[in-house]
Amino acid sequence: MSESHCVSCGSCGFPMQAPADFAGGMADSAYCSTCGDEFGRLRPYDDVLQANAAYYEREQGLHPAAARELARALLASMPAWKSADPTRPLQS
Amino acid sequence: MSNNSVSNPHPNTRRSSQRQATRQLLVDAALRVVAEHGFAGATTAAIAKASGKAHGTVFVHFRSREALVDEVVREIGDAISQRLAQTQSAVPTVEEVLDAHLAALAEHEVLYARLLGESATLPPAARARVFALQSGIAFRLRQAYERELAQGRVRAIDRTLLANTWIALTNHYLMHRDLFSPGASVVAARRDELKACLLQLIRS
Repeated sequence: MSESHCVSCGSCGFPMQAPADFAGGMADSAYCSTCGDEFGRLRPYDDVLQANAAYYEREQGLHPAAARELARALLASMPAWKSADPTRPLQS
Repeated sequence: MSNNSVSNPHPNTRRSSQRQATRQLLVDAALRVVAEHGFAGATTAAIAKASGKAHGTVFVHFRSREALVDEVVREIGDAISQRLAQTQSAVPTVEEVLDAHLAALAEHEVLYARLLGESATLPPAARARVFALQSGIAFRLRQAYERELAQGRVRAIDRTLLANTWIALTNHYLMHRDLFSPGASVVAARRDELKACLLQLIRS
């Protein structure tokens, strides 16, 4: 069996298992490859929101507006974004 | 750690530990109530009663019912994600991803079926967790599929079709588990059939 426990991204909750799942391929990063940059650091909120919405769209074919609202709701409940205002408009 | 520190922990540490234990007690009680009565029946009064705590205690630990529901959904999602990670090999085949997903569903069948059935009525963050979990499954499935496609072991189909067919198939059986497998685990009863459907779709 592969490893029995994986950590979750502090930004979106994605379970990280393989090195490629971690930001920058760094297994000590607290963030996944979607939410973090090549140095393992958390990317800006708007970038993370866009990337998570795109993830919903890509993996399940959700409508773009619905995907963005789901991503916004998810991020608002995550430790990394507790202080983010989920109601503010997305920067273009 | 010395014996002394174990038997006489710092008061703040002890309080924090008690607080965490009570919080977990409430979440565990909520999971039992949801399993039996669904999310709609999981009122804060019902959860307090099931936990043996006063109603007000719920709000000491959770600012609202919505926050408690979100925590319950997080628990279910984390448990399924952790089980999903336990594939037969580190670089799993499609079949191994399906096996791990079915095993995860079987272990959390009742709660996950409740979650699916009431997803549209859940608070936004909780509903987003359901779709995040499903996207995680889709992601693992697509990774495995693309490896096998590169090896010429499967035929080319649209990736979203692949993921959504699997998610829809399992969700359909789970949401109607009382019809597909009355009184027993639908995943245990139908796992081979479910897996065969998906594999038939991708194998030449």
